[in-house]
Amino acid sequence: MSGRSVSRRALDGAIIAAFAATSLATGSALVANHAFADETCNSPYMRNVIKGQEDYVYVWTLGVEGLGDGSDKIVTIDVNPASSQYGKIVHALSVGARGEAHHMGFTDDRRHLWAGGLDDSRIYIFDVYSDPSRPKLVRSLSDLPQRTGLVGPHTFYAMPGRMLVQFLSNSDDHGGATGMAVFTNKGELIRSYKMPTAQGGDGYGYDIGINPKKNVMLTSSFTGWNNYMMDFGKMLQDPEAMKRFGQTMVLWDVKTMQPKKIFNVPGSPLEIRWSLNEGDNWAITASALTSTLWLVKQDAGGEWQAKAVGNIGDPAQIPLPVDISITADGKGLWVNTFMDGKTRYIDLTDPEHPRQTYEKVTGKQVNMVSQSWDGKRVYITSSLLANWDKKGDNDEQVLRAFSWDGNELKPLFELDCYAHKLGRAHHMKFGTNSIKAAYEPLDDTLAQAR
Amino acid sequence: MNLSTTPSRKRASGWGAGVLALLLAGAALAHEAPRSRLDFTPPVPGTYRLERIMPAPDGKVIDAQRQRARLKNYTQGKVTLLSLMYTACSDETGCPLAFYSIAMIKRDLEKSVAARGKVRVVSLSFDPEHDTPEVMRAYGGNHVGGATPVPWHFLTTESRGDLAPMLTGFDQDVSRPRKEAAGKELLHVLKLFLIDRDGWVREIYTTSYLAPQVVVNDIETLLLEAAATVD
Repeated sequence: MSGRSVSRRALDGAIIAAFAATSLATGSALVANHAFADETCNSPYMRNVIKGQEDYVYVWTLGVEGLGDGSDKIVTIDVNPASSQYGKIVHALSVGARGEAHHMGFTDDRRHLWAGGLDDSRIYIFDVYSDPSRPKLVRSLSDLPQRTGLVGPHTFYAMPGRMLVQFLSNSDDHGGATGMAVFTNKGELIRSYKMPTAQGGDGYGYDIGINPKKNVMLTSSFTGWNNYMMDFGKMLQDPEAMKRFGQTMVLWDVKTMQPKKIFNVPGSPLEIRWSLNEGDNWAITASALTSTLWLVKQDAGGEWQAKAVGNIGDPAQIPLPVDISITADGKGLWVNTFMDGKTRYIDLTDPEHPRQTYEKVTGKQVNMVSQSWDGKRVYITSSLLANWDKKGDNDEQVLRAFSWDGNELKPLFELDCYAHKLGRAHHMKFGTNSIKAAYEPLDDTLAQAR
Repeated sequence: MNLSTTPSRKRASGWGAGVLALLLAGAALAHEAPRSRLDFTPPVPGTYRLERIMPAPDGKVIDAQRQRARLKNYTQGKVTLLSLMYTACSDETGCPLAFYSIAMIKRDLEKSVAARGKVRVVSLSFDPEHDTPEVMRAYGGNHVGGATPVPWHFLTTESRGDLAPMLTGFDQDVSRPRKEAAGKELLHVLKLFLIDRDGWVREIYTTSYLAPQVVVNDIETLLLEAAATVD
């Protein structure tokens, strides 16, 4: 290495060091605000890079026997209106197995997308940075029930350098008692955690939502393999099966990964969304079976409390609220109700008193809903679970894109997943070319150097 | 999210208007971005366990005095707080914030008898083409040198080839501007790695939510763990 004069940039560093030294004398403690952008439901630890138009929507589809190769797939759809491929499938990658594809999540550096199967308990890790238009499978994990006793990887939640995965079931009795497991970003298992069964805990799990500034994590609760793999109609007629749904949310200390408080939240609370609005300290969820919105918030004494704050539709009609998507400013919430196929907008200006201000039938059955950071685009998909989806003509499987102007959802395009032999459309994640266009991974140049 | 003072286990944080003005002045070195505080009391050291996440990688490094060594010489035998960084980073929520936070942590640790001689800090550059030992020495300023209770080592590498196994081992993403987009900074998610004396990464922090008191408590937790092992 040749000697080199100290540059202006190094001097900048010295200035920063001097600034730091000066600040030290004051004893102040700083934390950077997170530059939120991208999808509103991502982990707060994740690099957020989509500040404008998303380029792709990745859809994790469940294979259907006799349709195409019958396997689960990650499907890439071009959603940039400036593209000649707008609204078209640009890539579909089969994983060669049908394992009840369900949810996905990015690593903190947004280089990899993890996706799981609720039936076969496999986890697939896709490289989405080398070519965002063509996700590449780089690793699959297939022995998790044997290694952890956990079944049905559901939520994939980025933590610094790690992935926290919430499971739905267990390998002993395939019931609802379950846990979480944390992995390195490369997929090495670090350890697993059981959901609490004492102090009112039911041991069930579903979603994860972390508020780093409060050092708290919320988890919710669904049901085990025996139920989510059962025919929906049959399950509804089985009183014992209907008792086996989660009734709790758990507040955890993120640092210690210990439960701090267990809330009684009947009716199976599902997706958890923390308000992203600076200054807010609350999260919201929807209980599927009771069609109720629940607010988790600190009271005046700083104690975390959960309370029901409103209904979604008419609970007596069992609309079955499923996915929810909070707006970037925390003032609104999209809610999909599976049974009536409606996409509803809930005004959260006062989260203690939410009120529905809009609804539209967006499909014969609707499950997942995602919105762009600016709230101008809303995407919905149709599948809940292979054995819970509607039958016959009502079993449409689609990705639908809408524009939202604050008053009306207007169709942009739709993709018929059955016609394209893709299967059932479940979870969505946004993709972008922005990093690839401006940067190249140092890894590539390092590889050349090697 | 609500932001208020992070209560320290040992002292209350000071937040005067003058401090804020100073910090905002510091932020002006790079981009416009507000800063805020965490709002929780960190758990007490020794009351929780830090998991063994992965072994810290090894590789060839060179220090600010141009001495060649292996990285493992800086990641084993003591509790180590390691930052992967580059000196030209001007995003105040990135490397400069890490520098500032490490300086705070170092200052707190040097007040602790238990930490003296048992903790080190390392800044390792992933920009070897620019960050020569001379540049790292200038960047480290008065912090360079080992004659303090908690030494801070400023390391770089002689080539990208030498850097490769360490970036891969820490799973640190780094992207550089394409030629047509020259002038932009390196793109990376800034992380700090807490490494135990056996060379295992036990915690990974992102500067997006970095609370120095939490890091200090984690270091004390590892020191208590080590003391219990010796006993």
